[in-house]
Amino acid sequence: MTIKTLTWLGLALFLLVILVPFWWIASMSFKTYEQIQFATSIYVPNPFTWENYTGLWTETRFPLWLRNSAVTGLVVTAITIVVSSLGGYAVARLRFPGRESVASLILILYLIPPALLFIPLYRVLAELGATNHLSSLFLSYPTFTVPFATWLLIGFFKALPDELEEAALIDGAGRITAFWRVLLPLAAPGLVASAIFAFTLSWNEFLYALVFIQDEQSITVPVGLNLLIYGDVFHWGQLMAASVITTIPVVALYVFIHRWMVEGLVAGGVKG
Amino acid sequence: MALPQTVGVPAVRARASLWRRARTREAATALLFLLPLFVLVVALIFYPVYRAVWLSLTDKLVGYPERFVGLRNYAYLAQDDTFHAVIRNSLVFTVGSVGLKIVTGVLMALVLNNVIRGRNFFRGLFLLPWITSTVIIALTWRWMFDAFPGRGFFNSVLLDLGVMSRPKAFMASPEGAMMAVVVANWWRGFPFFGVSFLAGMASIPRELYEAAAVDGAAAWRRFWHVTLPGLKHVMIVTTLLSFILTINDFNIVYVMTRGGPGTATQIFATYSYQVAFGQLRWGRGVTISLFVVPILVLGIVLISRYLLRDRK
Amino acid sequence: MLDSPISRRSLLAGAVGASALLTLPRPAAPAVKKGTSLKLWILKTYVEPTNKAIEASAQRWAQKNGASVSVEYFTFEDMQTKYVAAIESNSTPDIGQLETSAPARFAGMGQLIDLTTFARQIEGQVGKAPANVSAVTMVGDKIYSLPWYVMGGFWYVWRDVFEKAKVKLPTTFEEAKQAAAALNRPKDNFYGMGQSWNRTSDGYGVMQSLMYSYGVGWAGKDGKYKSLKTPAMQTVMKWATDIYKDGIQPADTLTWTGSGNNENFIAKNIAQTSNGPSITFALENALAKATDAKDRKAKEEALANHVALPHPAGPDGRRMWAIAMSFGIFKNSKDPEAAMSLIAHLLSPEETVAVMKDSYGQFGPVLDKARAASKDYFNKNDNYRTFGRAAEWFAPTGWPGPTTAAAAEVQASNVLTDAPAKVIVDKWSVDQAIDWEDKKIKEIYDTLKG
Repeated sequence: MTIKTLTWLGLALFLLVILVPFWWIASMSFKTYEQIQFATSIYVPNPFTWENYTGLWTETRFPLWLRNSAVTGLVVTAITIVVSSLGGYAVARLRFPGRESVASLILILYLIPPALLFIPLYRVLAELGATNHLSSLFLSYPTFTVPFATWLLIGFFKALPDELEEAALIDGAGRITAFWRVLLPLAAPGLVASAIFAFTLSWNEFLYALVFIQDEQSITVPVGLNLLIYGDVFHWGQLMAASVITTIPVVALYVFIHRWMVEGLVAGGVKG
Repeated sequence: MALPQTVGVPAVRARASLWRRARTREAATALLFLLPLFVLVVALIFYPVYRAVWLSLTDKLVGYPERFVGLRNYAYLAQDDTFHAVIRNSLVFTVGSVGLKIVTGVLMALVLNNVIRGRNFFRGLFLLPWITSTVIIALTWRWMFDAFPGRGFFNSVLLDLGVMSRPKAFMASPEGAMMAVVVANWWRGFPFFGVSFLAGMASIPRELYEAAAVDGAAAWRRFWHVTLPGLKHVMIVTTLLSFILTINDFNIVYVMTRGGPGTATQIFATYSYQVAFGQLRWGRGVTISLFVVPILVLGIVLISRYLLRDRK
Repeated sequence: MLDSPISRRSLLAGAVGASALLTLPRPAAPAVKKGTSLKLWILKTYVEPTNKAIEASAQRWAQKNGASVSVEYFTFEDMQTKYVAAIESNSTPDIGQLETSAPARFAGMGQLIDLTTFARQIEGQVGKAPANVSAVTMVGDKIYSLPWYVMGGFWYVWRDVFEKAKVKLPTTFEEAKQAAAALNRPKDNFYGMGQSWNRTSDGYGVMQSLMYSYGVGWAGKDGKYKSLKTPAMQTVMKWATDIYKDGIQPADTLTWTGSGNNENFIAKNIAQTSNGPSITFALENALAKATDAKDRKAKEEALANHVALPHPAGPDGRRMWAIAMSFGIFKNSKDPEAAMSLIAHLLSPEETVAVMKDSYGQFGPVLDKARAASKDYFNKNDNYRTFGRAAEWFAPTGWPGPTTAAAAEVQASNVLTDAPAKVIVDKWSVDQAIDWEDKKIKEIYDTLKG
């Protein structure tokens, strides 16, 4: 077999592996409870129904969860971009003692697992009175979005040529102005990539949202999905519909910026 | 800033002190810029870790004040057979899925590397599992493996193809359940490996391939002797990162099996959650999470050596 | 005339009686300050109309008293986390609906107000619960919560399947197992039973019903630890594991979630299963949603053919673990008097019946006045009559002792269902599993303070 055939075969196989689960969920989201329960029309829903989607909107608090997740995502992204662009720039472009240690520290921080922090963070947030509100997420999510974003931005900033900054400095601009006017705009792809990462990580986070928030008004989508299982009855179709709806924004965002995102992954993590 | 046009020792000294002042200013700016990061890290990462260690030395039970008990939680876990199972499961889960991810990642990189037209498109498409919420991925694969033909993809297909005559409960046995969670984790993670390896391949100098071709090496040997060694660095870094993230995973196991059947898929994070929020024993719960720290430290040291070696 | 000794005595008696009457505590609601706001936590059941009905009832009280009530829900799933979080961050509600073992647990932490006097006060208005149910609400002889209803477990069977195979409807666990063997048809994907030892009440609840019906408990009447290593427990563990070994259940039974047995029963994959009234609710709902005449007929048949039998009995009696919901007032409440008034309102026979009418039978009231008032509602058909009797067979966590915090933790630690799982999955022997379970339970009692 030629390399070409192997490649096409491989491509087809990967496409299958990656797309089939998505299709399975989407197809189930258009079936009625009975269709799923009694295993009729398995591969293509027939008749096709939107009732799970409408039911999700009218019978559950899904719109509220979407709103909470969106708000959290935006706030956390904003915090992340500010903190990580400042920090990333400092590590990448400013000289100060201990610079290399700070760089290593940042990577290490990303690896400290939520599985370790969730219990003590819970107590700290409870003492601050932040539990049960979205503010608990605004405070806790940056603990994993910021290290990752900073790491990414260090790579981006480092890749920018020194001369630009030097030129600005020679022209009499201070460090801060140089940063704000020159570097930041040039690092836009990096910033966008970091923002998308931060939003996505936030949107998909489950453990902290599960543990820190019980108030119905502040539930986010992943926790809400978990709640759609009430005791004895599992609303399969609605869960699928919710899964589809939840995935769409991330995929949409991603379609537009995936090139930058991959560049970011590569620049920040791989080539060093 | 124009340098003074002077010569002689006083001039040098003046230049030196100007330079020092500039440096101090730079360091001060750095401090300013790093302050938000610093505050975040100390208040919400270091402090809770400190609290975690302290909590692990108490018998904190929800609703009651805590009492210092020294290493009692550690001693209990050391002889708790459920915890032994948790350690075993965590290792199986992590090694299994990371191993699969490495192999699949290489295959994916190879395939994409050979696709010229539309490579970016496919690369983007293949990253879809990686950006999807793990809760949704866990639910999806739970259904893929479901014993109910209406919901279970594998059961539907295998029954329809006539390979099986009765639906099979894939997740009902400990091995099956572990396989299911490993598959979910693998599906979610291999694209990251693939994309990293693809980038790694791009940075292998063409000359090495050309030299090998000149030597008459077949494709397979070129792969083995040029590609793989060239990927060594990326492989190590990606594997270490994935290992650390996978061993601390919560979402996939919690949503797919809750750690069951029995304790077959109970791993560190899910067991910690059950003990802390189900049995209300926070001292013991946090101790479970702390057991991962040595592995974490080892992984971090290794990564630092590999990754940061390049940064100089 | 005041001369006659009898008339003087009777006058005196009358005077004494009258003044005594005046000093008797009034059996009605304590005073409610206008503008008071209360937080009420309610269990969100899968029967949405019931949830709405409870909220409506609470709002009626609010309107009547010029106060306001904000209702928040928790589910079976997040019950623990939600209360834990609230306790640790001092954000408990005024009134919380508490499941079976919660009053003991939270009272032990000092979180609940002593309601002994209040309970006596409203007895006239709402009645009393039978002793087996009120045990759940008490620690020692102090009452910490007021019970409202139990969501019983019943033994669901397909009558037509039994009739066709000429098998008698089971009344004991032994009979159920034998019936399952007789009805088992694996080739047709039909199994005799579906009992999962999972981490939901369908698992640990039924295990307790099994144990208690065989006279086995891990605690004595005094609430202190008692060894499980008895012949009766051997029989129990054997029953629990034989139903798997004998192949009379679907292969994935052990991994079912809370809804697994419902689905399998409704899809007629299994002949018997233990469950709350939600199966009946699902079938009634399905009938209401029937699309055409043929569908309608099928759904009607299903409804007619499914029977909710009383939960099986064992040699020691018929004991049914159930989710007993009661109301407790948290100590952080800013207006306990108003809270008491709301509870009295919700527990009153009229309000209880109003809520029950929307409950599709899942709600078995326990207070005798409410039970009397709801007799008609439960007289609908055989199944409903069985539902209404739930309080009769109720046995709480920790039987035969009171429900203590330790007993509650035994249930929460999953050891009751992990033990049979070890025999079924890890191929341990029955003895080993019982030893392990006993050790774990003893350890909980040893390390828990009260």
